[in-house]
Amino acid sequence: MKKVFIIIAASITVITGCTKKLDINPTQDISDQEVFTSDANIKAALNGAYDAISNSYLLGGDFQLYSELLAADGEIRWAGTYNQPREIFSKSILTNNSFVTNTWTAGYNTINICNNILNAIDKVNTADQDRVKGEALFLRGLTYFEMAELFAKPYSDGNASSNLGLQLITTPTSGGISDANYVPRSTLQETYNLILSDLTEAKGLLPDDNDVYANSFTASAVLSRVYLQMGDYANARDEANNVITNSSYSLTTTYAEAFNRTSNSSEDIFAIQVTAQDGANDMQVFWSIPQYGARDGDVDVLQKHINLYDPADDRLKLFYLDGQNIYRSGKWKLQYRNLPIIRLAEMYLTRAECNFRLGTTVGATPDDDINNVIRKRVNLSPTTITLDNILLERKLELAHEGQRIQDVKRLKLTVDGFDYDANELVLPIPIREINASNGALQQNDGY
Amino acid sequence: MRNPRLILLSVFLLSAHFIWAQTRTITGKVTDRAGNPVANASVLVKGTSTGTVTTAEGLYSLSIPASAKILVYSAVDMEPQEVTINGQSVINISLAMADKSLQEVVVVGYGTKIKKDLTGNIAKVKGAEVQSMPVPNLNQALQGRAAGVFVESNNGKVGEGVKIRIRGSGSLSASNDPLYVIDGVPINNSSASGNPLADINFNDIESFDILKDASAAAIYGSRAANGVVLITTKRGKAGKTVFQVNTQYGFNKPTHLRGFLDAKEYVDLLREAAINSDNIEGVDPLDPAQYPGSWLEFAEGRLTRYSGWSDWHTLQTNTNWEKLAFNDNARTSAVDLSASGGNEKTKFYFSASYNNQDGILIGNNFRRLSSRINLDHSVSDKFKVGFNLSLSQTLSGRVPNDNEFATPMQIVALSPVTPLKDLDGNVYNTPTTTYSNPYVDYVDGHWRSTIYRNIGNIYGQLNILPSLFFRSELGADIQNQNDDQFYGFRTTYGTGTNGYGESDWYRSLDYNLNNYFNYKKTFASVHDVEAVVGMSYQRYNSEYANVYGEQFPVEDLQKLASAGLIKGGTSSSSNASFVSYFARGNYKFNDKYLLTVSGRVDGSSVFGKGNRYGVFPAVSLGWIMSEENFLKNSDFISFLKLRGSWGLTGNADGFGNFSSLGLWGSASYAGTAGLITTQLANEDLRWEKSNQVDIGIDFGFLRNKISGELDFYNRKTQDLIYNVPVPGNSGFTTQTVNIGSMQNRGVEFVLNTENIATKNFRWSSSLNVSYNQNKILKLDGDQTTIPGNDGRYLNSLIVGESIGVFYGPKFAGVDPNNGDALYYEQDGKTTTNDYDAAGNFIVGNPNPKVTAGLTNTVSFRGFDLSFLFQGVFGNQILNGAGGFMSSSFDWFDNQTKDQLKRWQKPGDITDVPQLRLGYGNGISASSRYVYDGDYVRLKNITLGYNIPASSLRKVKLSSLRVYVTAVNLLTFTNYPGWDPEVNTDYRAGNRNQGSDFYAAPQIKTIAAGLNVGF
Repeated sequence: MKKVFIIIAASITVITGCTKKLDINPTQDISDQEVFTSDANIKAALNGAYDAISNSYLLGGDFQLYSELLAADGEIRWAGTYNQPREIFSKSILTNNSFVTNTWTAGYNTINICNNILNAIDKVNTADQDRVKGEALFLRGLTYFEMAELFAKPYSDGNASSNLGLQLITTPTSGGISDANYVPRSTLQETYNLILSDLTEAKGLLPDDNDVYANSFTASAVLSRVYLQMGDYANARDEANNVITNSSYSLTTTYAEAFNRTSNSSEDIFAIQVTAQDGANDMQVFWSIPQYGARDGDVDVLQKHINLYDPADDRLKLFYLDGQNIYRSGKWKLQYRNLPIIRLAEMYLTRAECNFRLGTTVGATPDDDINNVIRKRVNLSPTTITLDNILLERKLELAHEGQRIQDVKRLKLTVDGFDYDANELVLPIPIREINASNGALQQNDGY
Repeated sequence: MRNPRLILLSVFLLSAHFIWAQTRTITGKVTDRAGNPVANASVLVKGTSTGTVTTAEGLYSLSIPASAKILVYSAVDMEPQEVTINGQSVINISLAMADKSLQEVVVVGYGTKIKKDLTGNIAKVKGAEVQSMPVPNLNQALQGRAAGVFVESNNGKVGEGVKIRIRGSGSLSASNDPLYVIDGVPINNSSASGNPLADINFNDIESFDILKDASAAAIYGSRAANGVVLITTKRGKAGKTVFQVNTQYGFNKPTHLRGFLDAKEYVDLLREAAINSDNIEGVDPLDPAQYPGSWLEFAEGRLTRYSGWSDWHTLQTNTNWEKLAFNDNARTSAVDLSASGGNEKTKFYFSASYNNQDGILIGNNFRRLSSRINLDHSVSDKFKVGFNLSLSQTLSGRVPNDNEFATPMQIVALSPVTPLKDLDGNVYNTPTTTYSNPYVDYVDGHWRSTIYRNIGNIYGQLNILPSLFFRSELGADIQNQNDDQFYGFRTTYGTGTNGYGESDWYRSLDYNLNNYFNYKKTFASVHDVEAVVGMSYQRYNSEYANVYGEQFPVEDLQKLASAGLIKGGTSSSSNASFVSYFARGNYKFNDKYLLTVSGRVDGSSVFGKGNRYGVFPAVSLGWIMSEENFLKNSDFISFLKLRGSWGLTGNADGFGNFSSLGLWGSASYAGTAGLITTQLANEDLRWEKSNQVDIGIDFGFLRNKISGELDFYNRKTQDLIYNVPVPGNSGFTTQTVNIGSMQNRGVEFVLNTENIATKNFRWSSSLNVSYNQNKILKLDGDQTTIPGNDGRYLNSLIVGESIGVFYGPKFAGVDPNNGDALYYEQDGKTTTNDYDAAGNFIVGNPNPKVTAGLTNTVSFRGFDLSFLFQGVFGNQILNGAGGFMSSSFDWFDNQTKDQLKRWQKPGDITDVPQLRLGYGNGISASSRYVYDGDYVRLKNITLGYNIPASSLRKVKLSSLRVYVTAVNLLTFTNYPGWDPEVNTDYRAGNRNQGSDFYAAPQIKTIAAGLNVGF
């Protein structure tokens, strides 16, 4: 009987103390409470926000791809097998398009990280608070802007205060989903107001130099884009002029030098950093060919586009023919290269266009910007300065860099038979989001 | 306290010895009920060791002490019988065949019971039934053999994913797989790639006991919601050492080929599609002026590109790519050796086995070497120790998942005008082939997976009292896996980067400690009481690391040491633990009335601090009506038992180890580390609980020649764990929450019949039929639908419907006027050609309504024949690749033959829309790609011949059997795809069922073998 007790006692000893064994923590992640406790962690989250915006569904290439495919107009063709980009190319986008769905969620993922940083900004060392806050505001403003360009009607149609914009989320998601996640879409004007306020505040907070990260001129350059989209030529001009005259950026000697780079060029105001180990470049994946580690040459450049160039144009020489004699964009030829998001050349083009439209010569004359800066570099003789010529110069200079549909919309052009404000040129709100929104989220017209 | 019974017995034995002198002799004959003599029957004086055995003629003669009162007659396969001597000197007796099914020992978790006394529902499959079946995975061997156990291989990749569902799917995001317990050790059912169950040599298995209802499973409380498969390995018996050798050799083939367009059809239809697209745009491409820039020019340019050196105009090449996906020389071979035996103190079972199967796909193969030692040793009457140890090595040649260009089956997309090789003999790849050619990956690449698996346990059992023992078991399951991949310069993964190499390492260690007491006693000869009380602790740990690189100097240097660029690498680990306390009590009164009560308290680390513990009780009752006087003497009813059970079981597996926490993980940008959100918190995450009621009848008629079981069950899972979609504006897409409930209701019927049983000819049958209805009762809040249309698939969650039903547009055929694909609008009548305007309907259900298996076993003299038909009924399959392979030439993928029936001119009535290159005419997921998935299959057939023992004596063999066996020999189905047993591997899950996407057909095997015993 004694033995029985000994065994029972022994096994009870084994049993007790086990509850502690249920305390197990993850090894690859840390809990959200721990993140926002230190300066170093919040700065790490800021780097995470850059990583989030560099996602292939955002500035890692798909934002740019969508813009070019929507504005294809017989100058490029989606020849790849994926039908998600093909739907965008043919302007018959289904609401279950997985690329579009992922772009939406990746965009708000970036925004949520920024909101978390902004919410905990007082934990950052005082000396760095302005910079960190400025970068978070910049990334949030830029993300909202890029999303508004694709998911909302163009600002240029004049109905911004009644057209639907985005759901504006400015507080971090913590502990779960709340009512804040079931808000209706704000108007496009309200969306632009947030974008302008984020970018303007960022511009004031950011330093003039910040390695490959956003600085005050990066914010200025994006503001220039936003104003241009709004038709506010004076502000667009002034922001562009600010970048040209006050920053240290300079055009690369040759046009080709601006692309296929492993580090930023002298004219990269902002570029997504890509290395073999890290980052995605979906433009290269879809526009290049298997020989360079890409997919199957999914985007063909067609003769109609090639015909736009003067034979002497260095920009023409950047195109190359693949084994099937199809033109490929040389801007996206090599694997693991940075994606230029805003180049200094765009600032010259914007300044020239706005000066021309306003009859001003802030910074320089349009003739100077177009002929002595942009055309000179690509080995072209001067041209007459007309609005059409400035816009053509802009189109060729920025070709296939993800700006085309924005220009089509603000200039009220027609592409592939669709008017600039056609429902088909606006991406649908993903059906996944409509379903998850409990009715709060309104679908775009035409879907 | 000493056991008075033991003392009594000793005294009795002693006294028997003393009165040995006074003896008398009893003679007689033992026969069976048919009058045939029974040889080697034992005749024993009850309570003594005095006894004898019968001669070949069934005769015996036994000297017995005068005090002897009762003789006990017993024989193999016979029901023992007791006869009171009462002064008789000649006793002839006929013995009934034992109903083995009722005396069968069933493993119940921390103990065993005889089947007759069970109150829960447990299906037993004996190892012998599946012995030598040429499949690598033990689950595949169970297919069709047990009621309520649905087994489905994802595809025909050898040794890979197999789904098993016991009584339907009970969970949304948590695991729906049963818990596997081998000799008391719950094993790890996950691995870096492949299927961890394929590491187990099932020829070592004595029995599978599948715990289906809650009362049976509740003793495994936390892990038992999806049922428990208890696997018991073979053990030695005292006596002569028995050697068994099995060898086998055979061939593997795909069950079915689908068939695609040949070169002429391809060229004709593609051109037609291009012309149609041009016409839509108002272009006549046949007019030379309009040809430049036309779709036709584009298509013909592609035809030229795809033709390589040959000329498509003259149809110079006609490649059947589908055939090239398969290895037409696939073999299977196996050798098993085992030895078992021992003495009263020590018993052993040793085995070694080699199994080598070529998959039917190119580059896919499986080889397993395994060994096992099981030892039991009695240190004394009171103390017993033992251990079980298995060690295996599995080497697999894997192929990428079904969604990769490099997977062999995607070769069917290539154009038949493309030659396999260029004029220099190199296999063509892009840009000549439409897509990356998987054949290049096969020739210039490999993915070799090596797994070392060690499952073992040691135990000690101390008999504290005759009625009380304590048992302690310590078990471990160790997996060590390395996946080594290399793809050469021309392959899908290696093009443009001078090769691609990857090395993945995975190690898991699961250990498990069980301690329990077992008390068993009969009071007043009518009250049988048994109790089990104990605890268990389990800890799971896995470690994973990988590294991958590019830029190899030459293709012969394939290890990462030679990679010029290490692209990336990672290491990670995961841990979880369970602490459990359990108790079970069984009470039997008068051999008629049965009661089992059990309870388990489980703590799991995967839940938040406040929700870790779950309580899982169960109770069950049984009434053996055939023991009642009003039935006891029935000639017709030989056995009848009513049983009922209720219990609660839990589920804590399969949805991640830290799902309750809000998490941030690492990210990197511009060479600097960062933090990024990875998971949305849910502090309230708690146990998923499954509530099950089972009512059953076990019956036996006509001396149990006809026997079976009928069960009704209702399983309701509450607090379903699901990764529920949340608004993307939160920065997250899902949150792991407890939502709603789901029900599985069903009927199971088992009927075993002894059709003919004569001396030379025996024929028995076993039928199992199960009906299950799965229904989602509630989702989150007021939400009634979580739609799942992602363009390829439609698996959705809808209240009132089964999990994963296909919910989406209903195809309304083709507009006879213009060839447009039409869909029904939400009113179900109006049709539209606009997919986004189409209504949503339930257009299919991937859950089978009925599954069935029928086994027939026939023996005639030395011959034995057994065959198993297995059927699945009432489910649908959605071909997610329809939008590529049956897409009216939306793109350049080769098309299925049915596309020949396309709409061509106004008035055509067909269900294949007009061919349109690049115009997506009806290619998004809809009922167009939904098919009935019913099938009946001759799962296994085996014909063997036993060489008569008389001929074997000369060569000193105890048995020799030759046999031929076949798996999946015949399949009857209307499914037009490769095989109706399918669920494409890259997305297989709880909700994502019934989907086909370039999934390989199942493997058909024909093999011959030899079993030798000595």
